[in-house]
Amino acid sequence: MADGRKGLLLIGLLASVASIPAQLRAGAGKPEGWVPIRWDGGPLEVSRRAKDTALAGRPAQREAIGRWYDPATLDLLRGTPLNCILVTLSAGADPELEERQHLLVREYARVARQRGIAVLGIVHPGSSPVKAAIAAAGAGLDGLVLDGDFSEESKFMAALESALREQNSEALVIPIARHASSVGMADTTPAIADPPPLAPLAVAGVRPSARDLADMGIRAGASAEPWIESNIWMVRFLRFQSGRRPIWIDQQPNPSAAGDYIRCVADAAVAGGRWMVSLDDDLRMRLYQRDAAALATWQRIASYLRFAEDHADWRGFQPYGNVGVLFDAAAQDAEFADEYLNLVARRQVPYRLIPRSSLRPAALAGFRAVLAPTLAPPTETERKILRDFAEQGGLLVTGPAWGNPPKDDPYAEVPTGKGRVAVYREDPPDPGDLARDLLELLPPEVMGLSVFNVPSTISYASTTASGKSVLIQLLNYAGTPSVRVTVRFNGIFKTARLYTPENPPAELAARATADGRTEVAIPRLEAWAALILE
Amino acid sequence: MPDAHRIVTRRDMFAAAGLAAGALTVDGARAAAPAVSVPTAPVSVAKIASYDQDLVAQFQQMFDEIGGIGHLVRGKTVAMKVNLTGASGRGRHVGLTAGQTSWVHPNVVGALTAVFAKQGARRIRILESTFRKNYGAPLEDTLLNDGWDVAGIKSAGPLVEFEDTNGLGQAKQYSVLKVKSRPYIFPAFSLNHSYEDCDFFVSVAKMKNHEELGITLSMKNLFGITPELLYGLAPKPPGASPWVRERVFHYGQVPPPAGVPQEIDPSSDRYEGWRMPRLLTDLCGARPIDLAVLDGIETIIGGEGTGMPGTKHAKPGLLVVGRNCVCTDAVAAATMGYNPRAGRHEAPFRLYKNPKGHPPEQLVPPGETQQYADNTMLMGEGAGIGTADLSRIDLRGVPIKDAMYDYEAHWKGQAPV
Repeated sequence: MADGRKGLLLIGLLASVASIPAQLRAGAGKPEGWVPIRWDGGPLEVSRRAKDTALAGRPAQREAIGRWYDPATLDLLRGTPLNCILVTLSAGADPELEERQHLLVREYARVARQRGIAVLGIVHPGSSPVKAAIAAAGAGLDGLVLDGDFSEESKFMAALESALREQNSEALVIPIARHASSVGMADTTPAIADPPPLAPLAVAGVRPSARDLADMGIRAGASAEPWIESNIWMVRFLRFQSGRRPIWIDQQPNPSAAGDYIRCVADAAVAGGRWMVSLDDDLRMRLYQRDAAALATWQRIASYLRFAEDHADWRGFQPYGNVGVLFDAAAQDAEFADEYLNLVARRQVPYRLIPRSSLRPAALAGFRAVLAPTLAPPTETERKILRDFAEQGGLLVTGPAWGNPPKDDPYAEVPTGKGRVAVYREDPPDPGDLARDLLELLPPEVMGLSVFNVPSTISYASTTASGKSVLIQLLNYAGTPSVRVTVRFNGIFKTARLYTPENPPAELAARATADGRTEVAIPRLEAWAALILE
Repeated sequence: MPDAHRIVTRRDMFAAAGLAAGALTVDGARAAAPAVSVPTAPVSVAKIASYDQDLVAQFQQMFDEIGGIGHLVRGKTVAMKVNLTGASGRGRHVGLTAGQTSWVHPNVVGALTAVFAKQGARRIRILESTFRKNYGAPLEDTLLNDGWDVAGIKSAGPLVEFEDTNGLGQAKQYSVLKVKSRPYIFPAFSLNHSYEDCDFFVSVAKMKNHEELGITLSMKNLFGITPELLYGLAPKPPGASPWVRERVFHYGQVPPPAGVPQEIDPSSDRYEGWRMPRLLTDLCGARPIDLAVLDGIETIIGGEGTGMPGTKHAKPGLLVVGRNCVCTDAVAAATMGYNPRAGRHEAPFRLYKNPKGHPPEQLVPPGETQQYADNTMLMGEGAGIGTADLSRIDLRGVPIKDAMYDYEAHWKGQAPV
């Protein structure tokens, strides 16, 4: 098992143990409903960043961050969905400074709680678990967030948990996993009517963006798409793995660009996660000064957060896909396996996940193609299940361990019964090549969803359990809108309604195509759009 | 620098005899004007600020300037081979459409459709060969990938059709079109029926630089009429290029499949800088261009595709139109700041050949990345298609000196912004 996965496995176990009674969350709501924002500040934060030359050279920013726990800053949250702030609590600094910060946080948290806001303390490496627990308990914090590279995180967490219990605190402990390849823990809570709340699973994400390959020094073909950095695949994967646990994505966008901020909100929310909103120093300073342009940026961020929370029911939709991606949670090369999920999503191929441990004939029902590029080596049972799938008309895409890989071509399609097996030469197959090849291997009706004019966009399709409502979300990672986006989806639907954060819902024409699909033209895609077909 | 490749073949000499021997000079010096006459035709140049201008009126004016086309298209089938490099619509610079960079712009194609319809064309067909193999999507879907208003273009004429010509398309067999100019490499080509089934053929191309050919204009645009699904039928030998057109045409690594016209001299030079300009000329001889339309309103400079490092989006603001493809390309090259009679190792025909993207044998001597391409316009002149001599071309519209957008200077960041 990869080290990153091992670490998170333990972290996940510990965090999931820290479930808390719902009644203790009075005023702050349950963790499932927390909409978080990083609210680092106070003298400890300024001290912690003493070596940050950018901040050191900007006294006004330093002052704003140092004075951030003036209760007036809580007014910024009024009218927004943000109801959970992450405050700087402990960094292993000078004891006097730490104490001063604890007192500041205690008072600030008191005012915040009165306003129904949950408060989580950020604990940085170097902190004492006992002192952090005492401070958290004293301030009545709802949780502690571990941010940074702790040399022995699992030991630190255990000590922190123990210290919190000694203080009779039921604060959650939420480590921020540092690696995108990390895997969340399954929600093992028994299915009961009123299950206890679960700690969010926080993971460091990438900064959502679209870049030209050429600008990255990569020579690409004429049809090469821009390179998109996205967390959508990871949120999907973690939600699949972790059951009911909220997924939080931690990353800092490009400074002072409203477009980047709204994309961060949407990028985490499309598949049902939440971005731990994180503002750059300049924006924070200008918000502190109540600068009009900064407040407009803030309102735009809030409008995207509101859009996400207004449509929280979308989190209950199930991923759509006729293509299954078989994944092995114990795979040796976890980051490589993750890259398939990332890049297949980027090629607009809708897929559903199939855990290797669940591979049974029944688990493949409803799929028309299965990707198993890293199944090395498949057991005889697995091999039979997958061969049967292909013989019954499915497409299996696999690596050379399957047998008879081509000598020269990147992959070979081998007719198998009524179906095919595409065997790659490389072991494991290059995720980028495989994702691109899927556009050749899969006919449109197997893809199910076809989206046109979306080179800098990622789409995500999900459906209600009945399949009568289909939700197709589009997130444009370019800074400019896409004009005339066309969507086709398998099946005939009577209505198409477009939801965007910017405008009221709009009815669009749903046109039935000759091949039994529904086509909808979206005139303009700014950043985030959701199309519901019914 | 002396050329390491074979310089002039007997066939070159034969083709060029008395026509454009200067084009094939050994030392790469500029070609002298041809000794005897080759066809010429007027070319119109316009400066256009934006694709939002009234391009219908603009094209009508330019067509009038080159002598009118109404008598040529009335009651006829007009086919436009549109330049869609990469042919997926997904190759983009972030925030720009393909029509703003590597493809012809949909407003240009829409306006041309409207003008041909107004001039009485009975049927207007829009053609291109895409790369998709297994599940050939209709050409309209490819165009949707760049946000084209396909329905709008369809409604611009009484009968507007689209066809992907990468295979048989709507026909049951390929059309064999013989090279009617002096052939260099192929005597004929097997092509989708659309290139035979038209009365008036238009090459609608983007004005761009090109990695292997220096520049790509109306003649180069015809490379896309070759059907991969036919020419790729021959098995790929180990080590050959995975791309059908490269292994058959660029490098001549494999012959076309049986039943398809073969090379005149399979022992001829395999260097793509030598082959491609000649092959393109052969294609223009097989499917003569009746009208060349060059879109340089917006484009990329530094390469033909957005995936190439160093390519830049640019707004030259140019439209160039003419009846003779060689003449039109020559004028367009001049508006791009290039000498249309330039020889090997002169801009834009001196090339950096990326060793990662080319077979080792294309770098001669081994490892040498400084290579060349022959001048396609001079090949066309040598084959008797048209003149590349500006002094013999009747220029209409905006004078070249006023229209010029220096691609090299802008690419290098030397031109004022």
